[in-house]
Amino acid sequence: MNIKNLIEQTGWKLATEKADLNTEIEGVYCGDLLSWVMGNGEPGQAWITVQVHMNIVAVAKLREFSCILIADNANLTPEIIDRAEGEEIAIIETGIPVFESARKLIELGV
Amino acid sequence: MYYDLHMHSCLSPCAENEMTPNNICNMALIKGLDLIAVTDHNSVKQLPAFALAAKTIGIRALYGCEIQTIEEVHVLGLFAVLEQAMKLQEWIDLHMPDIPNQTDYFGDQWICNAQDEMLEQEPRLLLVSLDVSLEETVEKIHELGGRVILAHVLDRENSVTNQLGFIPMDLAYDGLEIKTPEQKQRVLDTHPWIKEDSTYWFIDSDAHRLIDISEPENQMSEEVFARLWGDSL
Repeated sequence: MNIKNLIEQTGWKLATEKADLNTEIEGVYCGDLLSWVMGNGEPGQAWITVQVHMNIVAVAKLREFSCILIADNANLTPEIIDRAEGEEIAIIETGIPVFESARKLIELGV
Repeated sequence: MYYDLHMHSCLSPCAENEMTPNNICNMALIKGLDLIAVTDHNSVKQLPAFALAAKTIGIRALYGCEIQTIEEVHVLGLFAVLEQAMKLQEWIDLHMPDIPNQTDYFGDQWICNAQDEMLEQEPRLLLVSLDVSLEETVEKIHELGGRVILAHVLDRENSVTNQLGFIPMDLAYDGLEIKTPEQKQRVLDTHPWIKEDSTYWFIDSDAHRLIDISEPENQMSEEVFARLWGDSL
């Protein structure tokens, strides 16, 4: 499944305008402690987090995540969206808690 | 001068009740320190008594607070002027969740007078995150005239590197707190954009007990002090 399919099938909100929606999603990682995510995430994963510090863009880039999924309506700032667009990392707001977001991805077979 | 700019009074639930303003100042004096700061979690309410005790006992003081941001990062705000530090309280009250302290689990949160009498307990739990970002916290401390030191930057709990992976490149802090001289090299090795001379480095005790207050091991020059906090003392 790619990012475009994900958005179509979930109705989740794409926050970034500039990103490659054909990027394939290969698995999921959940975590908010960025040192931990940096050490354990794997390339291609969709990363679910409520961490909305600017550093998430760098972490996603470093780990080569396919996209960042912001759960639970955590307060995403325009600065983060700008930075993510600059790095061509897609950020999607799920609007539901981390667990529910993960469950949805499982249902979709990610 | 020998300093210790990070210690908790009996207002912090995790600190011992022996950490009263006079006890802290006297122990620091006995240990041979010249400059100290009290930095309780998310509160400045112990600082008036600490200021009086420090003046009576005759030790130089900075007035501080250890803020926990929404990212659960610990940040020290340090002020040369008590009134500036006290202005943090209003901002903290706006942003701190109202969770009652459970003294039997978390510990007491005593506010003292200048005679070390325990007057009242802070009813709200102080071991919480404010709903403000690290950047907003840095900005607020600066706005009030204080200096920002990122606390215990390599710790596994509540440090900027643990919570956020690394020290953000464009964060406007004034100093970094490390635990040992060796940690400086680790910070430099993992952050190519930080130069040794581009920031100020501090080694503090983070004492929660009197015995843990620093020995006279870490020095700051009058010049550095003046650059950071003026010559207002």
